[in-house]
Amino acid sequence: MISNFTSYAMAALLAGAAPLFPTDSFAASCCGGGSAASLTVPKYAVAVADLSFDTEFYDGYWNQNRKYIPDPPGSNLRQYRLNAGAGYRFAKDWQASISLPYVWNDNSYSGVSSQTNGLGDTTVSVMYEVLDDNSAWRVRDIGDMIPGVSLGLSLLLPTGISPYDNQQSSFDITGRGFYRLDGTLLVEKTIRPWNASLALAYGSYLERTINREYGKYVEPYKKDLGDRFSATISSGYAYVIGSGGDSVTGTVSYTYMNEADASFNGKQDSGSGFNKQSVGMALSYANNDNNWSARIGWNHAIKENGWGENFPATDVISMGVRYVFL
Amino acid sequence: MYSFRLVGLLLLIIMSGCGDNLIPSGEDKRPPVLAGSSGGSVTQKASDFSVSDSNGNAVTLASSTAGKRGAVLYFTMWCPICDSHMNNLRAYIAPSYPDVNFYLVDYVSGSISEVAGSASSNGYAGGVFTTLADTDHILTTIFQATMGTTVVIDSSGIIRMNEDYRDGANLRANLSALP
Repeated sequence: MISNFTSYAMAALLAGAAPLFPTDSFAASCCGGGSAASLTVPKYAVAVADLSFDTEFYDGYWNQNRKYIPDPPGSNLRQYRLNAGAGYRFAKDWQASISLPYVWNDNSYSGVSSQTNGLGDTTVSVMYEVLDDNSAWRVRDIGDMIPGVSLGLSLLLPTGISPYDNQQSSFDITGRGFYRLDGTLLVEKTIRPWNASLALAYGSYLERTINREYGKYVEPYKKDLGDRFSATISSGYAYVIGSGGDSVTGTVSYTYMNEADASFNGKQDSGSGFNKQSVGMALSYANNDNNWSARIGWNHAIKENGWGENFPATDVISMGVRYVFL
Repeated sequence: MYSFRLVGLLLLIIMSGCGDNLIPSGEDKRPPVLAGSSGGSVTQKASDFSVSDSNGNAVTLASSTAGKRGAVLYFTMWCPICDSHMNNLRAYIAPSYPDVNFYLVDYVSGSISEVAGSASSNGYAGGVFTTLADTDHILTTIFQATMGTTVVIDSSGIIRMNEDYRDGANLRANLSALP
C-alpha cells in the first residue's frame, strides 16, 4: 500500500506532454499495445485535432541477457494504428486531451497467420503550463533563456482487447488490460531556428483482479504491472521556405523506456520487467499561419546486443496531420 | 462546456463497448468440469495426441510422461515474454523436478526443421527441454493454448494445470503435488 502510494505520488509530481515521435508500443503478438501519444495545444490556440497512422514493424527481440534474437524464419509481424486525438485549452495555462487508437494486428509466421483489429487503450490527459517559452529569435537577456515547462497527468484506460478478455489468441491483443496513471514533465526551448526538448514520464499501473486468461476462466488472482519510466530528448531545426513563412522542421531524438517487474498477488515476478532504447527522426511541415501541419517520423530500435532487455525490437513509421483551432 | 460534454459522451460510448478490463471481476467463473472426462481443462483426461519433436521423433500423450511423474507443456512463439518464461523454467523450475519431462511447444513454425532452427537460435536446443513441432496445431487445439500457456499433465494423463505462465509459483505447487 505504501509503495503504491509512493508511486502515485511520484506520478503526480511529474507531468507534461508527449513528443512528436511515434510512441513505444507493445508487440501485437505478445504484449498488447495501441497506446498513442497525448496532444499539446499551442499557447496561442484554443484546441487541436490530430490524426496519425503508425506502422510498427517487429523484427526480433532482446532477451534477458540483452542479446538481440531475430524472429523465426518466415515471420512477418506488423501492427498498424490509426490514432485520433483532440486537445482543448480550458484555461489560460491548462489543457486537456484525449487520444484513441484503432489497432490492426497482422502476424504471419511460417506455420500460422492472423489478422485482427480492435480499439486500443485510450489516453486522457490534463496539463498545466508552469513556464512559457517565448521562442526568442535572438538571446538578448537571461529571460530569453527560460524554457517552456509543462506538468501533467495522464490516465491510460484499458479500452483495448487484453489477454483477460474473451479472446483465445495472443494475436488478438490490442491493449494491456490495466489502468496506468502517468505524470509527465516537458521542458522545451526554442531559439529560432533551433529547438530542443526533454520529456519525462513516470507511470504506475493499478493492480487488478484477473479471473480469465485468453478466454479460459481461472482461479482469480491479483496482478500488477511494474512502474514505467521513459525519457526522450530531442533537438530540431526549422527551415523557413521562401518568403511566405511556411516551414519545415527536422528533429532527431533518443528515447529510453523501462518498466519494472510485474507482481502476482503482491509478490514480485523477477525478470518480467523490460527496457528499450531507440532513436528517431521526424520531419514536419507547417503552413504560414500554422493552422495546418503534417509530419512523418521514424522511430528505430537498434538491433544490436545491449540496446534492450526482454522487449521486442521494432521500427515505427508514423504519418500525421494536425489542425490548430485559434 | 459543450466540448467537455461531447468528449464525456464519446468516452462513455467507447467504454461501454469495451471488455471486462474497465471494471475487472474477481469472481471465480470456472465452469464445472466432469473430472476424468476427455478434454483440455483441469481435472480432465488429456485427449491423446501425436506430434513430432524437433528431431522428427513422435511424441504421444503416453510417451510424454513415460517413466516420469508428469509432463509440462509450455507454448512458445519465441517472443521476449516467452523467453523470460522459458528461462525461468530452465533455471529455476526444471532442476527441482528431474522426474518431470519439460516440453516447449512451437505452434508458429511451419516445419520441423524451422522448429529446430528457432529452438537453436533462441538458445533452447537440447538441455532440459524437448521442443515439439505443433505444425498442425493439435496441441494448441486440445489445450486451447496460446502464447505462454502452461499445461501440467500427470502420469495418468490427467491435466493438473492449464493457465498462462505467471511467476512459476503455481507451477511449482502443481508439480510438487504430482502423484
